[in-house]
Amino acid sequence: MRTCVAVCCMLAWSALTLYAQDQAPEKRIKNPFGKDKAAIEVGRTQFNSGCAVCHGPTGQGGRGSRLAEMERVQKMSDRRLFEVIKGGVAGTQMPPSSLSDQEIWQLVSFIRSMNASAFDLDVPGDIAAGEALFFASNKCSQCHLIRGRGGLSGPDLSNVGSRRSLEKIRKSIQDPDAFVEPGYARISAVTRLGKRISGTEKNNSNYSVQIQDAQGEFHFFLKRDLRELVHHIGSPMPKISLLDVELQNLLAFLSRQSLAPPETEEKIEHGKEVEP
Amino acid sequence: MRKVSCLFLLLALPLQAEVAFQDLLKLPAQNWLSYSGDLTARRHSLLKQINTTNVGNLVPQWVYQVKDSKRLQLTPLVVDGVMYIGHTNEVYALDAGTGRELWHYKHTQAKRHEGNRGVAVLGDRVFFVSSDAHLLALHAKTGALLWDAEFGGSDKNSQVHATLAPLAINGKVLVGVSGGDCGIRGFVDAYDAASGKQLWRFYTIPAPGELGFETWGGHPIEVSGGGTWMTGTYDAEQNLVFWGVGNPGPDFNGDLRPGDNLYSDSVVALDADTGKLKWHYQFTPHDTHDWDAQEFPVVIDAVFQRKPRKLLLQANRNGFFYVLDRTNGKVLLAKPFVKKMTWAKGILPNGRPDVIPDTDPTPAGRIACPGIKGASNWFSPSYNPETGLFYVITIEQCDIYTASARAYEKGECYSGTGAEAIPSEPGQFFLRAIDIQTGDIRWEIPMIVKDTMDPWPGTVSTAGGLVFFGDNEGYLSAADARTGKVLWHFNTGQLITASPMTYSANGKQYVALASATDVFSFSLFEPMRPEPVTLKERYETRGATAGN
Repeated sequence: MRTCVAVCCMLAWSALTLYAQDQAPEKRIKNPFGKDKAAIEVGRTQFNSGCAVCHGPTGQGGRGSRLAEMERVQKMSDRRLFEVIKGGVAGTQMPPSSLSDQEIWQLVSFIRSMNASAFDLDVPGDIAAGEALFFASNKCSQCHLIRGRGGLSGPDLSNVGSRRSLEKIRKSIQDPDAFVEPGYARISAVTRLGKRISGTEKNNSNYSVQIQDAQGEFHFFLKRDLRELVHHIGSPMPKISLLDVELQNLLAFLSRQSLAPPETEEKIEHGKEVEP
Repeated sequence: MRKVSCLFLLLALPLQAEVAFQDLLKLPAQNWLSYSGDLTARRHSLLKQINTTNVGNLVPQWVYQVKDSKRLQLTPLVVDGVMYIGHTNEVYALDAGTGRELWHYKHTQAKRHEGNRGVAVLGDRVFFVSSDAHLLALHAKTGALLWDAEFGGSDKNSQVHATLAPLAINGKVLVGVSGGDCGIRGFVDAYDAASGKQLWRFYTIPAPGELGFETWGGHPIEVSGGGTWMTGTYDAEQNLVFWGVGNPGPDFNGDLRPGDNLYSDSVVALDADTGKLKWHYQFTPHDTHDWDAQEFPVVIDAVFQRKPRKLLLQANRNGFFYVLDRTNGKVLLAKPFVKKMTWAKGILPNGRPDVIPDTDPTPAGRIACPGIKGASNWFSPSYNPETGLFYVITIEQCDIYTASARAYEKGECYSGTGAEAIPSEPGQFFLRAIDIQTGDIRWEIPMIVKDTMDPWPGTVSTAGGLVFFGDNEGYLSAADARTGKVLWHFNTGQLITASPMTYSANGKQYVALASATDVFSFSLFEPMRPEPVTLKERYETRGATAGN
């Protein structure tokens, strides 16, 4: 429990305050366990006993911050993650962790695994068959774009391989309602003049709403100009029946969709302002 | 569920509202499609809903804070009501009428964090540069990364980086590089807009065997500077690109590079299809004061000296306002637009400056004018064809220039020392209106507080007879374009670090400024009505009818 609180608060604090600091080259310490599967499992055990109560068993966050698929966590160096877990933050609820260095590194491996993108994995399956399924047979591309090819009513999947974990992609296909990507909830509006617009909700406030239709056109309304506005709960994506082999091929194809795999901050320098 | 699925099938039609190349050539009106509004950099909008009779009623409509920004230097682009904001390794799409966010792209793998001057649009794409010199293409409707072309090279010690808004022309996207003070060899690159494939490269420092190499006295070309850090302009009729080239390196020590140092401090006219040099004009041969020629080379057609001509205008950092014939680079007019000028008596008939001796920097320091920031700089001037006036933020300043003989070291900057203000003589900003026929200053607005250190304020001209401009006290103001009488002002509470622009959305004209940490958008005052309470807003589970 104490470790959990420490991880929770320290990660949040570290992401906000330590991110911009430079690292000396000699401090660029890598996790000795890396992606070792046994270490990840040991780390999972540590996580479940000390951290999951706050962060959730899959790292989706609860009382504690979300740790899975978080860009800030993805970009943190191994050393920084280690320090966040091992250290403490004066003036917060977080005491230092009592785990050994080895156990902390295993925990780092597990947290890294929660942030591993599908692109990082060697996903089995027939990529070409998955592509054919995406663009032709199954009509995924009716609603989803990949590199400018496809429809615009669902999320653009051009770089989904590096933006999502394999499990999240799988779940999105099998149970679309489990997670609706922000900006892609379905919405319908009727203006005071009777014009009807349906599409995805890009933004919404008490005073205005921004909708993108299936052709990609944006429609912006002040709410004073609307007669009716309906937010459709759940994903507009239909549940589709796929054979196991089809699903695997589709996952193999989608996992390879990335131009820009994220890098950790160890590789990022912080520069200065524009020269005049 | 079936109903919703069918609806999506029916709506999967071809994309629309793409930006055509021809659109980029028009003077801006509803849309503002490139950094300067059109590819000529006149920065003159045809909008006149806001004009000299009503600009006093201009009020802020919305403010958008750009997270983690300090000194925004971009010009927002607007395409059919969508505003695109380029910031350090990030792009935002906003509802231009309310400032509400539509999508956001962050290039997390960028290895540098520099300022950025915004985006370009063409077709269904938005183009911008990352700080570590990648040209990136995003889908305009979704913000998804479509291709990534590295143009800065993979040398970790290289000082090459990128800050400019790309120049999109017919099927191509052009970029340049920053780092000219730190030992680089500048270039302009062109990429295929569809694929990201490199089409050509023009180096601003000639290689051995090329014309101009002899102007460097053997100084190594790889560290001779000639950055290309601002967006070029374009003449569709000649299919020529005009690009300003930066200072030679080392900036302040000319002894290491005897000669004119081509094509530093020049404007180069490049064939847009091949990158071949058609002509060049060097404003400051053998520069020792860091007077990059990055100020916009403005393309206009006008009767000049009694003949219709194709002109190129530039208010150069060296203090002269130039009118060139853009078919051949010949100087038609060159006249100082600052009073503080110590380096040249004038420009000779052959186009070369009549240089005053002994103004080069020395180890002990020597005063010269204009100062290092220049008589003007990258912030935008504008040109109103109705008044024939060129509006430019001007700096009257001298600096103490100091030189040293430090040799180039890889990974270090290569300036040959620097320049500093004279404590007892602070510089002063002016908005000046230059008559392009004579080079005379028709009117000017002085910025009373003498402080030129941090702001980078620019201008925009409109058919409403107005010129909007920033100052060094955080004000965005509007002046009568003919008389220079100030008609409106607004305290942004921010440092002004960029140039304003104007657009319209839903029939309403806005004036926008991205500066410091925020984007501000203004339009004419309309009394706010109470929100009606008759809107039925509700949540429904899938399958329920919603007027579909």
